[in-house]
Amino acid sequence: MTDEATAPGPRSDSGFAHASEAEFARILDFYEVAWQYEPKVFPILWDLDGNVLESFAPDFFLPDLEVFVELTTLQQRLVRKKNRKVRRLRELYPGLRIKLFYARDFRALMLKYGRAALVSELSGASGQVTPHQEAEGSLVLGDARAGLGRSGSQKGGADLTAPAAGTEPRPGQKRRSRSARRRAGRRAASAAAHVAPR
Amino acid sequence: MKPAQDLVTDVAEVLLSEEQLEAKVAELGQQITGDYAGRELTLVSVLKGSLPFMADLMRHISLPLRIDLMEVSSYGGTSTESSGLVRILKDLSAPIEGRDVLLVEDIIDTGLTLNYLIRYLKGKNPRSIKVCALLDKPARRLVEIPLDYVGFQIPDAFVVGYGLDFGEVYRNLRFVGVLRPEVYES
Repeated sequence: MTDEATAPGPRSDSGFAHASEAEFARILDFYEVAWQYEPKVFPILWDLDGNVLESFAPDFFLPDLEVFVELTTLQQRLVRKKNRKVRRLRELYPGLRIKLFYARDFRALMLKYGRAALVSELSGASGQVTPHQEAEGSLVLGDARAGLGRSGSQKGGADLTAPAAGTEPRPGQKRRSRSARRRAGRRAASAAAHVAPR
Repeated sequence: MKPAQDLVTDVAEVLLSEEQLEAKVAELGQQITGDYAGRELTLVSVLKGSLPFMADLMRHISLPLRIDLMEVSSYGGTSTESSGLVRILKDLSAPIEGRDVLLVEDIIDTGLTLNYLIRYLKGKNPRSIKVCALLDKPARRLVEIPLDYVGFQIPDAFVVGYGLDFGEVYRNLRFVGVLRPEVYES
Protein backbone atom coordinates (compact mmCIF):
# COMPACT_ATOMS: atom_id res chain seq x y z
CA MET A 1 0.00 0.00 0.00
CA THR A 2 1.45 3.32 -0.96
CA ASP A 3 1.04 6.77 0.48
CA GLU A 4 -0.95 7.71 -2.57
CA ALA A 5 -3.43 4.95 -1.96
CA THR A 6 -4.03 5.79 1.65
CA ALA A 7 -3.57 9.50 1.77
CA PRO A 8 -6.30 11.13 3.85
CA GLY A 9 -7.91 14.34 2.79
CA PRO A 10 -10.46 15.61 0.34
CA ARG A 11 -11.44 13.26 -2.41
CA SER A 12 -10.34 13.98 -5.90
CA ASP A 13 -12.56 13.00 -8.78
CA SER A 14 -9.68 11.71 -10.82
CA GLY A 15 -8.85 8.07 -11.16
CA PHE A 16 -12.27 6.47 -11.44
CA ALA A 17 -12.81 4.05 -14.25
CA HIS A 18 -16.52 4.79 -14.49
CA ALA A 19 -18.71 7.81 -13.88
CA SER A 20 -21.00 5.80 -11.59
CA GLU A 21 -18.04 5.18 -9.29
CA ALA A 22 -17.38 8.90 -9.03
CA GLU A 23 -21.04 9.45 -8.17
CA PHE A 24 -20.99 6.66 -5.59
CA ALA A 25 -17.89 8.20 -4.01
CA ARG A 26 -19.70 11.53 -3.79
CA ILE A 27 -22.58 9.83 -1.95
CA LEU A 28 -20.15 8.25 0.52
CA ASP A 29 -18.44 11.58 1.03
CA PHE A 30 -21.80 13.24 1.62
CA TYR A 31 -22.62 10.83 4.44
CA GLU A 32 -19.06 11.00 5.78
CA VAL A 33 -18.32 7.37 5.16
CA ALA A 34 -14.59 6.73 4.67
CA TRP A 35 -13.73 4.86 1.48
CA GLN A 36 -10.82 3.62 -0.55
CA TYR A 37 -10.91 3.03 -4.27
CA GLU A 38 -9.69 -0.36 -5.49
CA PRO A 39 -7.28 -0.79 -2.58
CA LYS A 40 -6.96 -4.57 -2.90
CA VAL A 41 -6.44 -7.11 -5.61
CA PHE A 42 -7.57 -10.59 -4.66
CA PRO A 43 -6.24 -13.55 -6.62
CA ILE A 44 -9.14 -15.89 -7.33
CA LEU A 45 -7.69 -18.43 -9.77
CA TRP A 46 -4.27 -20.05 -10.00
CA ASP A 47 -2.70 -22.55 -12.37
CA LEU A 48 -1.11 -25.78 -11.17
CA ASP A 49 2.19 -23.99 -10.64
CA GLY A 50 0.59 -21.47 -8.34
CA ASN A 51 0.65 -18.61 -10.80
CA VAL A 52 -2.26 -16.24 -10.56
CA LEU A 53 -4.54 -16.56 -13.56
CA GLU A 54 -7.37 -14.36 -12.45
CA SER A 55 -7.83 -11.64 -9.87
CA PHE A 56 -10.56 -9.38 -8.68
CA ALA A 57 -10.28 -5.83 -7.38
CA PRO A 58 -13.55 -4.66 -5.80
CA ASP A 59 -14.26 -1.01 -6.54
CA PHE A 60 -14.51 0.30 -3.01
CA PHE A 61 -13.50 -0.62 0.50
CA LEU A 62 -15.26 1.11 3.37
CA PRO A 63 -12.75 0.68 6.20
CA ASP A 64 -14.98 1.84 9.06
CA LEU A 65 -17.71 -0.57 7.96
CA GLU A 66 -15.29 -3.30 6.90
CA VAL A 67 -17.11 -3.98 3.67
CA PHE A 68 -16.08 -4.04 0.03
CA VAL A 69 -18.48 -2.71 -2.58
CA GLU A 70 -18.49 -3.64 -6.21
CA LEU A 71 -20.56 -1.46 -8.53
CA THR A 72 -21.78 -2.67 -11.84
CA THR A 73 -23.97 -0.83 -14.28
CA LEU A 74 -23.22 -3.33 -17.02
CA GLN A 75 -25.54 -5.41 -19.10
CA GLN A 76 -26.64 -8.77 -17.72
CA ARG A 77 -24.16 -10.84 -19.77
CA LEU A 78 -21.29 -9.12 -18.02
CA VAL A 79 -22.99 -9.14 -14.65
CA ARG A 80 -23.00 -12.94 -14.70
CA LYS A 81 -19.22 -12.91 -14.93
CA LYS A 82 -19.03 -10.49 -12.07
CA ASN A 83 -21.42 -12.60 -10.02
CA ARG A 84 -19.14 -15.56 -10.57
CA LYS A 85 -16.13 -13.57 -9.43
CA VAL A 86 -17.90 -12.38 -6.30
CA ARG A 87 -18.99 -15.95 -5.49
CA ARG A 88 -15.43 -17.14 -5.97
CA LEU A 89 -14.14 -14.32 -3.78
CA ARG A 90 -16.56 -15.27 -1.01
CA GLU A 91 -15.53 -18.93 -1.24
CA LEU A 92 -11.83 -18.15 -1.05
CA TYR A 93 -12.02 -15.38 1.52
CA PRO A 94 -14.96 -16.29 3.75
CA GLY A 95 -14.19 -13.58 6.30
CA LEU A 96 -14.49 -10.88 3.69
CA ARG A 97 -17.70 -8.90 3.33
CA ILE A 98 -18.56 -7.70 -0.14
CA LYS A 99 -21.68 -6.03 -1.43
CA LEU A 100 -22.47 -6.12 -5.12
CA PHE A 101 -24.44 -3.16 -6.35
CA TYR A 102 -26.20 -3.99 -9.60
CA ALA A 103 -27.42 -1.54 -12.19
CA ARG A 104 -30.92 -1.72 -10.67
CA ASP A 105 -29.50 -0.88 -7.23
CA PHE A 106 -27.58 2.08 -8.58
CA ARG A 107 -30.67 3.19 -10.44
CA ALA A 108 -32.75 2.96 -7.28
CA LEU A 109 -30.15 4.91 -5.40
CA MET A 110 -30.23 7.67 -8.00
CA LEU A 111 -34.01 7.64 -7.92
CA LYS A 112 -34.00 7.95 -4.16
CA TYR A 113 -31.70 10.96 -4.34
CA GLY A 114 -33.70 12.61 -7.08
CA ARG A 115 -31.06 11.97 -9.72
CA ALA A 116 -32.95 9.54 -11.88
CA ALA A 117 -32.31 11.70 -14.92
CA LEU A 118 -28.62 10.93 -14.62
CA VAL A 119 -28.98 7.18 -14.59
CA SER A 120 -28.55 6.61 -18.29
CA GLU A 121 -25.55 8.91 -18.42
CA LEU A 122 -23.87 7.22 -15.49
CA SER A 123 -24.67 3.64 -16.44
CA GLY A 124 -23.20 1.00 -18.65
CA ALA A 125 -21.18 2.07 -21.64
CA SER A 126 -22.34 5.67 -21.38
CA GLY A 127 -20.48 6.19 -18.15
CA GLN A 128 -17.56 3.99 -19.05
CA VAL A 129 -14.45 5.57 -20.45
CA THR A 130 -12.10 2.62 -20.42
CA PRO A 131 -12.70 -0.81 -21.87
CA HIS A 132 -14.12 -2.69 -18.90
CA GLN A 133 -11.28 -5.10 -18.53
CA GLU A 134 -12.70 -6.55 -15.33
CA ALA A 135 -15.62 -7.88 -17.27
CA GLU A 136 -13.32 -9.68 -19.65
CA GLY A 137 -12.24 -11.79 -16.78
CA SER A 138 -8.52 -12.20 -16.53
CA LEU A 139 -6.63 -8.96 -16.26
CA VAL A 140 -4.72 -8.52 -13.03
CA LEU A 141 -4.40 -4.93 -11.97
CA GLY A 142 -1.02 -5.48 -10.40
CA ASP A 143 -1.26 -3.22 -7.38
CA ALA A 144 -3.61 -0.86 -5.68
CA ARG A 145 -1.87 2.41 -6.18
CA ALA A 146 -4.51 3.67 -8.55
CA GLY A 147 -6.86 3.77 -5.59
CA LEU A 148 -8.06 6.95 -3.98
CA GLY A 149 -9.34 7.35 -0.51
CA ARG A 150 -10.32 9.47 2.41
CA SER A 151 -9.18 7.04 5.04
CA GLY A 152 -5.63 6.38 6.05
CA SER A 153 -6.36 3.12 7.79
CA GLN A 154 -6.88 -0.38 6.54
CA LYS A 155 -9.08 -2.73 8.46
CA GLY A 156 -10.91 -5.89 7.48
CA GLY A 157 -9.38 -7.90 4.72
CA ALA A 158 -6.07 -6.11 4.90
CA ASP A 159 -4.00 -9.20 5.46
CA LEU A 160 -6.00 -11.57 3.32
CA THR A 161 -3.90 -11.14 0.26
CA ALA A 162 -0.86 -9.51 -1.15
CA PRO A 163 -1.06 -7.60 -4.39
CA ALA A 164 -0.91 -10.08 -7.18
CA ALA A 165 1.89 -10.11 -9.65
CA GLY A 166 0.79 -8.95 -13.08
CA THR A 167 -0.18 -11.53 -15.61
CA GLU A 168 -0.31 -11.13 -19.34
CA PRO A 169 -3.55 -9.97 -20.83
CA ARG A 170 -5.50 -12.40 -22.93
CA PRO A 171 -4.91 -12.34 -26.68
CA GLY A 172 -6.48 -9.29 -28.18
CA GLN A 173 -6.80 -7.59 -24.82
CA LYS A 174 -4.66 -4.53 -24.37
CA ARG A 175 -3.42 -3.79 -20.91
CA ARG A 176 -3.39 -0.13 -20.05
CA SER A 177 -0.67 1.49 -18.06
CA ARG A 178 -1.53 3.02 -14.71
CA SER A 179 -1.04 6.52 -16.09
CA ALA A 180 -3.39 5.70 -18.97
CA ARG A 181 -5.97 4.43 -16.49
CA ARG A 182 -5.63 7.62 -14.49
CA ARG A 183 -5.99 9.81 -17.54
CA ALA A 184 -9.08 7.87 -18.53
CA GLY A 185 -10.41 8.14 -14.99
CA ARG A 186 -9.95 11.88 -15.01
CA ARG A 187 -11.91 12.04 -18.24
CA ALA A 188 -14.64 9.92 -16.62
CA ALA A 189 -14.80 12.15 -13.58
CA SER A 190 -14.86 15.19 -15.76
CA ALA A 191 -17.74 13.70 -17.72
CA ALA A 192 -19.57 12.88 -14.48
CA ALA A 193 -19.02 16.39 -13.19
CA HIS A 194 -20.43 17.69 -16.44
CA VAL A 195 -23.65 15.73 -16.14
CA ALA A 196 -23.94 16.08 -12.38
CA PRO A 197 -22.74 19.53 -11.40
CA ARG A 198 -22.33 20.03 -7.68
CA MET B 1 -50.38 19.42 -7.15
CA LYS B 2 -51.91 16.08 -8.03
CA PRO B 3 -55.55 15.40 -7.10
CA ALA B 4 -55.94 12.83 -4.35
CA GLN B 5 -57.51 10.35 -6.73
CA ASP B 6 -54.38 10.38 -8.89
CA LEU B 7 -52.25 9.55 -5.90
CA VAL B 8 -54.02 6.24 -5.41
CA THR B 9 -54.05 5.37 -9.09
CA ASP B 10 -50.29 5.90 -9.21
CA VAL B 11 -49.89 2.99 -6.81
CA ALA B 12 -49.44 -0.40 -8.44
CA GLU B 13 -49.96 -2.46 -5.31
CA VAL B 14 -50.91 -1.89 -1.69
CA LEU B 15 -48.04 -3.42 0.20
CA LEU B 16 -49.28 -2.66 3.71
CA SER B 17 -52.88 -1.75 4.39
CA GLU B 18 -54.01 0.82 6.90
CA GLU B 19 -55.17 -2.00 9.16
CA GLN B 20 -51.85 -3.80 8.98
CA LEU B 21 -50.02 -0.60 9.81
CA GLU B 22 -52.28 0.15 12.76
CA ALA B 23 -51.86 -3.33 14.20
CA LYS B 24 -48.10 -3.32 13.82
CA VAL B 25 -47.65 0.14 15.29
CA ALA B 26 -49.74 -0.88 18.30
CA GLU B 27 -47.64 -4.00 18.72
CA LEU B 28 -44.42 -1.99 18.56
CA GLY B 29 -45.79 0.47 21.08
CA GLN B 30 -46.57 -2.31 23.53
CA GLN B 31 -43.16 -3.84 23.08
CA ILE B 32 -41.42 -0.52 23.64
CA THR B 33 -43.57 0.17 26.70
CA GLY B 34 -42.48 -3.14 28.21
CA ASP B 35 -38.81 -2.73 27.36
CA TYR B 36 -38.56 0.77 28.80
CA ALA B 37 -40.79 0.20 31.84
CA GLY B 38 -39.86 2.50 34.71
CA ARG B 39 -37.77 4.76 32.51
CA GLU B 40 -38.35 8.01 30.69
CA LEU B 41 -38.02 7.86 26.96
CA THR B 42 -37.19 10.42 24.31
CA LEU B 43 -38.52 9.66 20.85
CA VAL B 44 -36.60 11.36 18.06
CA SER B 45 -38.40 11.46 14.76
CA VAL B 46 -36.47 11.99 11.57
CA LEU B 47 -38.39 14.35 9.32
CA LYS B 48 -40.24 14.20 7.16
CA GLY B 49 -41.01 10.60 6.39
CA SER B 50 -41.35 9.27 9.92
CA LEU B 51 -43.86 11.87 11.07
CA PRO B 52 -47.06 9.76 10.69
CA PHE B 53 -45.34 6.73 12.19
CA MET B 54 -44.08 8.75 15.14
CA ALA B 55 -47.49 10.31 15.72
CA ASP B 56 -49.18 6.91 15.83
CA LEU B 57 -46.42 5.12 17.71
CA MET B 58 -46.22 7.60 20.59
CA ARG B 59 -49.91 7.09 21.31
CA HIS B 60 -49.30 3.38 21.81
CA ILE B 61 -46.46 3.88 24.29
CA SER B 62 -47.65 4.05 27.88
CA LEU B 63 -44.64 5.77 29.38
CA PRO B 64 -43.68 9.30 30.30
CA LEU B 65 -41.97 10.42 27.14
CA ARG B 66 -40.63 13.40 25.34
CA ILE B 67 -40.58 13.85 21.61
CA ASP B 68 -38.14 15.71 19.43
CA LEU B 69 -37.66 16.18 15.73
CA MET B 70 -34.63 16.20 13.48
CA GLU B 71 -34.18 16.80 9.82
CA VAL B 72 -31.08 16.15 7.78
CA SER B 73 -30.35 17.01 4.21
CA SER B 74 -30.40 14.23 1.69
CA TYR B 75 -27.84 13.66 -1.02
CA GLY B 76 -28.80 15.46 -4.18
CA GLY B 77 -30.76 18.13 -2.38
CA THR B 78 -30.18 21.61 -3.69
CA SER B 79 -29.41 23.00 -0.25
CA THR B 80 -26.35 20.82 0.12
CA GLU B 81 -24.73 21.16 -3.23
CA SER B 82 -22.32 23.80 -2.09
CA SER B 83 -20.87 21.79 0.77
CA GLY B 84 -21.25 18.25 -0.52
CA LEU B 85 -21.82 17.08 3.04
CA VAL B 86 -24.89 16.07 4.97
CA ARG B 87 -26.29 18.92 7.00
CA ILE B 88 -28.53 19.07 10.02
CA LEU B 89 -31.48 21.12 8.78
CA LYS B 90 -33.27 20.87 12.11
CA ASP B 91 -31.48 19.88 15.27
CA LEU B 92 -32.91 18.58 18.53
CA SER B 93 -34.65 21.21 20.57
CA ALA B 94 -33.57 19.80 23.93
CA PRO B 95 -30.46 18.05 25.27
CA ILE B 96 -30.52 14.25 25.33
CA GLU B 97 -27.52 13.77 27.60
CA GLY B 98 -28.19 10.93 30.02
CA ARG B 99 -31.53 10.12 28.42
CA ASP B 100 -32.83 6.96 26.76
CA VAL B 101 -33.35 7.83 23.13
CA LEU B 102 -35.36 5.92 20.56
CA LEU B 103 -34.71 7.05 17.01
CA VAL B 104 -37.88 6.64 14.97
CA GLU B 105 -37.34 6.08 11.26
CA ASP B 106 -39.78 5.42 8.45
CA ILE B 107 -37.53 3.21 6.33
CA ILE B 108 -33.99 1.89 6.45
CA ASP B 109 -32.52 1.34 3.01
CA THR B 110 -28.75 1.76 2.58
CA GLY B 111 -28.37 2.72 6.23
CA LEU B 112 -26.21 5.72 5.33
CA THR B 113 -28.51 8.32 6.87
CA LEU B 114 -29.09 6.21 9.97
CA ASN B 115 -25.38 5.63 10.37
CA TYR B 116 -24.78 9.38 10.24
CA LEU B 117 -27.59 10.15 12.67
CA ILE B 118 -26.50 7.60 15.25
CA ARG B 119 -22.96 8.90 15.20
CA TYR B 120 -24.29 12.44 15.56
CA LEU B 121 -26.64 11.59 18.41
CA LYS B 122 -24.05 9.54 20.26
CA GLY B 123 -21.96 12.69 20.35
CA LYS B 124 -24.67 14.19 22.57
CA ASN B 125 -24.05 11.52 25.21
CA PRO B 126 -27.44 9.90 25.63
CA ARG B 127 -27.78 7.11 28.18
CA SER B 128 -28.83 4.76 25.43
CA ILE B 129 -29.84 4.97 21.82
CA LYS B 130 -31.96 2.47 19.97
CA VAL B 131 -33.64 2.42 16.59
CA CYS B 132 -37.26 1.79 15.70
CA ALA B 133 -37.93 1.51 11.97
CA LEU B 134 -41.32 0.95 10.44
CA LEU B 135 -39.86 -0.54 7.26
CA ASP B 136 -36.65 -2.43 6.73
CA LYS B 137 -35.49 -2.78 3.13
CA PRO B 138 -32.29 -4.80 3.39
CA ALA B 139 -31.63 -5.35 -0.32
CA ARG B 140 -29.23 -2.43 -0.66
CA ARG B 141 -27.95 -2.21 2.88
CA LEU B 142 -24.44 -0.82 3.03
CA VAL B 143 -24.23 -0.09 6.73
CA GLU B 144 -25.25 -2.95 8.98
CA ILE B 145 -26.78 -1.29 12.01
CA PRO B 146 -28.82 -3.34 14.46
CA LEU B 147 -32.46 -2.33 14.28
CA ASP B 148 -34.00 -2.80 17.70
CA TYR B 149 -37.63 -2.54 16.58
CA VAL B 150 -38.80 -3.27 13.05
CA GLY B 151 -42.33 -3.11 11.75
CA PHE B 152 -42.01 -4.87 8.42
CA GLN B 153 -39.25 -6.15 6.23
CA ILE B 154 -40.13 -5.21 2.69
CA PRO B 155 -38.88 -6.25 -0.76
CA ASP B 156 -36.82 -4.10 -3.05
CA ALA B 157 -39.51 -1.82 -4.40
CA PHE B 158 -40.13 1.92 -4.50
CA VAL B 159 -42.72 2.46 -1.80
CA VAL B 160 -44.75 5.53 -0.94
CA GLY B 161 -47.41 6.48 1.56
CA TYR B 162 -47.69 6.72 5.35
CA GLY B 163 -45.01 9.42 5.30
CA LEU B 164 -42.94 8.07 2.43
CA ASP B 165 -42.75 10.28 -0.61
CA PHE B 166 -41.73 10.55 -4.18
CA GLY B 167 -40.89 14.13 -5.02
CA GLU B 168 -42.55 15.23 -1.75
CA VAL B 169 -45.89 13.75 -2.85
CA TYR B 170 -47.80 10.66 -1.63
CA ARG B 171 -46.89 11.12 2.05
CA ASN B 172 -50.56 11.42 2.99
CA LEU B 173 -51.63 8.03 1.70
CA ARG B 174 -52.97 5.97 4.57
CA PHE B 175 -51.27 2.81 3.37
CA VAL B 176 -47.84 1.86 2.06
CA GLY B 177 -47.89 1.07 -1.63
CA VAL B 178 -45.56 0.30 -4.49
CA LEU B 179 -45.36 3.18 -6.90
CA ARG B 180 -45.95 2.41 -10.55
CA PRO B 181 -42.62 2.51 -12.41
CA GLU B 182 -44.04 4.72 -15.11
CA VAL B 183 -44.59 7.43 -12.49
CA TYR B 184 -40.94 7.79 -11.61
CA GLU B 185 -39.62 6.78 -15.00
CA SER B 186 -41.49 9.64 -16.58
